[in-house]
Amino acid sequence: MSKYGPNRYMKGMLAVFCALFVLLGSYLFYSTVTYGEEWFSSPYNPRISASRKVADAGSIYDRNGVPLAWSVGSVRHYAENPEVRRAVCHVVGDVYGKSMGAEAFYARYLYGYDQGLIDRFVTAFEGDQKGGDVYLTIDAELCTYIYERMDYNGAVVLMNYETGEVLASVSNPTFDPEAIPDAADETGSQYLNRVTQGRYPPGSTMKIVTTACAIENSVTDRVYNCPGQIIIAGQRITCPREGGHGEEDLTGAFEDSCNVYFAQLAVALGRDSMQRTADAFLFNHDWHFPDFAMLASSYTPGSNEGDLAWSGIGQYKDLITPMHDMLISAAVARQGVMMQPQTLLDVRYGGRSAYTYAPHTVAALTDSSVAATLGTLMRATVLEGTATSADIGAAAVSGKTGTAEYTDNGEIRNHSWFVGFSSDTEHPLAVAVILEGAGFGSRYATPLAAQALSRAIELGY
Amino acid sequence: MIIRRYGVAILLTFMILFLLSAFVLLSFREGAFDAGTMLAGGLFAAYVLVQYNVLAAVFRHLDRYVLLITDFLMIISIIMLYRMDPETGQRQFIWILVGTLFMIAALAVIRKANDFGRWNLFFMLLAVGMLGVTLVLAQTTYGARNWLRIGPFAFQPSEFAKILFLIVTAYYLSTREHKRQLWPYFVFTILCVLLLVAARDLGAALLFAGTFLIVFYVGTGSLWITLGAIGAFAGGAVASYYIFGHVRIRVQVWRDPWATYNDNGYQIVQGLLAIASGGLLGSGLGNGMPQSIPVAESDYIFAAICEEFGIIVGVALIGFYLLFIVRGVLIAMDARTKFSKLLVFGATCLLALQSFIIIGGVIKLIPLTGITMPFVSYGGSSMLSSMMVLGIIEGVAVKNGEYDEAEITEMGGAVE
Repeated sequence: MSKYGPNRYMKGMLAVFCALFVLLGSYLFYSTVTYGEEWFSSPYNPRISASRKVADAGSIYDRNGVPLAWSVGSVRHYAENPEVRRAVCHVVGDVYGKSMGAEAFYARYLYGYDQGLIDRFVTAFEGDQKGGDVYLTIDAELCTYIYERMDYNGAVVLMNYETGEVLASVSNPTFDPEAIPDAADETGSQYLNRVTQGRYPPGSTMKIVTTACAIENSVTDRVYNCPGQIIIAGQRITCPREGGHGEEDLTGAFEDSCNVYFAQLAVALGRDSMQRTADAFLFNHDWHFPDFAMLASSYTPGSNEGDLAWSGIGQYKDLITPMHDMLISAAVARQGVMMQPQTLLDVRYGGRSAYTYAPHTVAALTDSSVAATLGTLMRATVLEGTATSADIGAAAVSGKTGTAEYTDNGEIRNHSWFVGFSSDTEHPLAVAVILEGAGFGSRYATPLAAQALSRAIELGY
Repeated sequence: MIIRRYGVAILLTFMILFLLSAFVLLSFREGAFDAGTMLAGGLFAAYVLVQYNVLAAVFRHLDRYVLLITDFLMIISIIMLYRMDPETGQRQFIWILVGTLFMIAALAVIRKANDFGRWNLFFMLLAVGMLGVTLVLAQTTYGARNWLRIGPFAFQPSEFAKILFLIVTAYYLSTREHKRQLWPYFVFTILCVLLLVAARDLGAALLFAGTFLIVFYVGTGSLWITLGAIGAFAGGAVASYYIFGHVRIRVQVWRDPWATYNDNGYQIVQGLLAIASGGLLGSGLGNGMPQSIPVAESDYIFAAICEEFGIIVGVALIGFYLLFIVRGVLIAMDARTKFSKLLVFGATCLLALQSFIIIGGVIKLIPLTGITMPFVSYGGSSMLSSMMVLGIIEGVAVKNGEYDEAEITEMGGAVE
């Protein structure tokens, strides 16, 4: 059939096979050399937890040197004050594999896997402890203050938006790491860190994204009348205020958090624009933070105008983690650039620092001009809109409330949200608060956010 | 017996030393010396020595390197399986013994056979029948319906259909004058691939399609039709990405296994962690945690080997497969009939693709499709079919040697 015998083609194919197998060997070598260290020290590696000797582990401190976890012999101890212990339990984690905190994520430091040869040699002479001491960015006092004021399940996260240092991260319900080996009665939900692993409908906090989309697409001149409810493609969308908000423009609607306005705005903007802006704000994005695991937030505009309208006001299939919602308002505060949240401040081997904290940016979510406009709207919301209880005077707080509907056993209930930031350059703080099933954002989440910000400023952040 | 090949003797000695020292380590694993384990190691060493020497004596023209490489792969397999679970190791030993009989049978048949022309139709029907019956009656494991249970035995018919596929391929491509006479073969191939895709046995489907493309190209030399067929299969692959959820998941997991660590990405992440934890030289036999990798004894055995023996042995294994392939292609080029050429080339190609697809999947070079690693993974069907592939290659090698000998005698030369 062919001009030549098969031998000619066999030689050619042999060359192809050789190339493929050389590629296989080189890739194996390359990937192990390049990623080997990172993979090995991954918190998912069961070899580390199986081989770890608690007696060798270093201690965990907060940013001010308050001890949060340490070993006495082969027993691991956690902060003495039970309130502190519970307030920081998700960030610190445990050695029993129940939660994913510093104990798991920084195992490579705590057990000395990343240590250089000389460090290893030196620490060997300094006593039993072979691992390093880990200093977290959180302030245990601030965390405890917030934890004691959380009357509902939920999450609070507070970050310095210039550096990305997470100053407080509290998830409720909590667990007691001192009581884990025999805590048979606890169900498991308390081990979940809601700050990074809880996905909630964003409710009206989503209007920040919808507004950004409107500004980016120059659709800022719309005026809609709000009679209290509207029907879009057969779906009824209501505003909580009796009789509606009346005539609203973008500024007024943002301050009043008018659902009827934003539902129509989302439809006017269209599916593609909304999807583009949500993606730019890192919805549907797989996070890869070195300090902790965080679930992806999701946004989809749906297939009809009713779904699109709901998605524009943070319902439909919108889901966000409290950390991500905080990062969005932090980015608004910082000219639209999102900083990488970090919880590892320092690692010390025998007192010598072996780690340097450096701020990193994640991405620019939007233009600085769009961010500035959003900032003005959020400031106005605190001064004269739904978030007046966040006004703590001096620090110039800007923010957005949210009331996110969800159904619990057929009954419609509301998560209470607040996201915001202080534009005072002395206190570059961003915050997100969610209280599950509490009710209106303005009534529950906002006052707690105000307290958290005030306390943080008192503490000098 | 006088040893005439010192090179082979040295290689064999090292292989046996490697095997025995590994089993000494395994015997002391529980603290006290375990005579049973050492006995198993000794028996396997005896098997390798007897197998090699008897085969080399009976079939003088056997390709010794191909056989030695296979023996080394099986030694690694037995050590690793015994280390993970002695019972699995023992069962694998039995499969290797049975497989050796299959190999000898395949060798003897191929040595005498012409081109199986009279059997061709039967083989085609048998292959399609086996795949069809599997699809209807099969048991689902890891998402693929590719296991058939008859009494106490469970086997994977696709492993045996592979052998029939090789013979049918070689027969058609060596006996037809015109490409248009190949249509029954095309129908047969497409039917096989579709049945495998329907059974969700993507690895085997890829193997059949890939072997077809390469052997077709080599047999006909028509680049354009081959490119067209590659296009068609690529189109099918893209279509299956959109049609089947599990194909999409495979691709997503390949792009970022860490994102779905808790469900779909778990296995590949555990595999990568194992390889990374072993590092260059490995943790040492018995010091790793290969049991944390799902199906470490079968599809994922490469990760387990890398963890304990290091990527240096991983790279060496890749090298051994390549050497095997080079020898296979040389035997094919040396063969006297087109049927023999294409049969051996097809068999080599099958092993090349199979080892590339599974190793590449485990190290995340390509999306993972579950197939076994030839001669190393645990599994009866896989071992028997790999042994038959070896028998086919050795059968033609022996035939080549006999032709050479006859030619030399004809020319009046003395035979060594």
